[in-house]
Amino acid sequence: MSRRFTALAALAVVLAGVELVAGRGMSPGAVWDVLGGGGDATERHILLQLRLPRLLVALGAGACLAVAGLVLQSALRNPLAGPEVTGVTPGAVLGAVVATALGVAGWESPLAVVAASCAGGCCGAALLWLLAGRGGGDPARTAVHGVLVSAVLGGLTAMVLLVRPGELGSVVQWLVGTTEGRVWEHWHLLWPWALAWGIAAWLLAGPLTLLRCGDETALAAGLPVRRARTLALLCAVALTAGAVAAVGALGFVGLLVPHLAVAVFGADLRVALPGAALAGAVVMCGADAAAQLSSRLLAAALDSGRFTLPVGALTACLGAALLLAVVRRAPSRTF
Amino acid sequence: MTEPLGIRVEGVHFGYPARPVLRGVDLTVAPGQLTALVGLNGCGKSTLLRLAAGLLRPERGRVLLGGDDLARLSRRAAARRVALLHQSSPAVPGMTVRHLVRQGRYAARGPLGMLREGDDPVVRRALRDVGVEDWAERDVDALSGGERQRVRLAMALAQDTRVLLLDEPTTYLDLHHQLDVLQTVVRLREERGLTVVMVLHDLAHAARFAERIVALRDGRVVADGAPRRVVTPGLLADVLRVAGRVGRDPEGGWPVCYPDHPLPTRI
Repeated sequence: MSRRFTALAALAVVLAGVELVAGRGMSPGAVWDVLGGGGDATERHILLQLRLPRLLVALGAGACLAVAGLVLQSALRNPLAGPEVTGVTPGAVLGAVVATALGVAGWESPLAVVAASCAGGCCGAALLWLLAGRGGGDPARTAVHGVLVSAVLGGLTAMVLLVRPGELGSVVQWLVGTTEGRVWEHWHLLWPWALAWGIAAWLLAGPLTLLRCGDETALAAGLPVRRARTLALLCAVALTAGAVAAVGALGFVGLLVPHLAVAVFGADLRVALPGAALAGAVVMCGADAAAQLSSRLLAAALDSGRFTLPVGALTACLGAALLLAVVRRAPSRTF
Repeated sequence: MTEPLGIRVEGVHFGYPARPVLRGVDLTVAPGQLTALVGLNGCGKSTLLRLAAGLLRPERGRVLLGGDDLARLSRRAAARRVALLHQSSPAVPGMTVRHLVRQGRYAARGPLGMLREGDDPVVRRALRDVGVEDWAERDVDALSGGERQRVRLAMALAQDTRVLLLDEPTTYLDLHHQLDVLQTVVRLREERGLTVVMVLHDLAHAARFAERIVALRDGRVVADGAPRRVVTPGLLADVLRVAGRVGRDPEGGWPVCYPDHPLPTRI
């Protein structure tokens, strides 16, 4: 098991290296110079003030989404549960869009956007909580209501955008999910939140593993099922809100990485939760590096100076393909 | 071996909206006794078992476990005294046998205790008791129905309780695995002095393995006693709504049923 962790961590380091050299305007040699303490002022600024925080935010957000997804899938016993269908992601998006439309938050001020999307995410989750019956008693009910709440919030977001098309460009990027332009301020807001809720989720590993065995079995084994599920959902909501506030409504990472983590690390969540965090960071970092490389190639091919492919577009496309594979592989199972 | 625990059900009423299930059940199970509950589908056997495990709370009356009212115990405290094996269980992808059995320690260890590495002796003993220690590293979902039921039994045993409740432990199993599970239960009950109550659909199994048969009909106890006394053509007709004859096993002497045809049920 520790070999798998080591392998994944090594992969994370390699992909982080790729991500640092993937952007435009700097050769790998120049990156190496800056890391060694050299380089000119512009290069230093690009690497240390732009690329490094972007990398860290990508890693952190990927870890948050993956852990949130695994917690949700275990607590709701639903292989298709993900942060997208708990009302948190669309709620956070709506919060950020409304705040921007009202002029309360500008895209240049991370704190306002983060606060607005966190508030929105919590409202989305609260709406789900009220609709699905307090405490999330029945997993299937919660999942169905989650889809409904997400659809309604998505519709509201579209309405706000139609009324106030304002800064459409950056909002659209955010709807898809992007790490473009993330700076140290974003990272300083993300990591304490992610760490605190990540630890809280890990402390729930025992109850969550038992919840995976089914409510009846868990209850008979002595778990107060409703209370455990409520706490787990709280952790998942907080982690999702944090990630969405940092990178936007990035799809599929929270849905698919948990399956990967369980396949690699087994259903013991003591191990699988940290595994999912690492796997989420790896996937996100790899996707971001790939997005930057393809932006660079596309920009060269189309001969346009400013062309960026948001990482969320990439994860959505790849994720859809992978999801198809997961569904095809296990058509009749509940997990 | 610790002192076995008795169960006392006192005037218990229970129902779901618009459907009363138990209408005043009184039942005392002596410590160390092996009791079988029989009756038609929907007569309240499983509900009675859940009430005895503390998974449901009675509307009226109370359930005592070794003198303590179950309603006053927390879920975890109750699970340290009584284990319940459900008749079927959902898939648990990615979980190994050892791992699933370890989940039975939740009540003893608590949420944070489950984070500690390793098996305690109880888990190893539970794996050994049902003879699954050789395939402890296999995936539960890859096992056959009979093997999985043994693993589930090991998980219930890992709770290390003095009362074991089994809800149709032999459903979906072939005859070989039915006898295998039941004989394991009988042996463990003798070794450990467990108090065992099980719901059985097969009256032949109940007559052969149980010391006492309790028959339920329409949420009430209608027959109660040793198999030789209780299993009669009258019981077949009244409780199971089947016409048939009852004989004796030539070797063991326990009652053997020869069911013939179903009788009309009252709705």
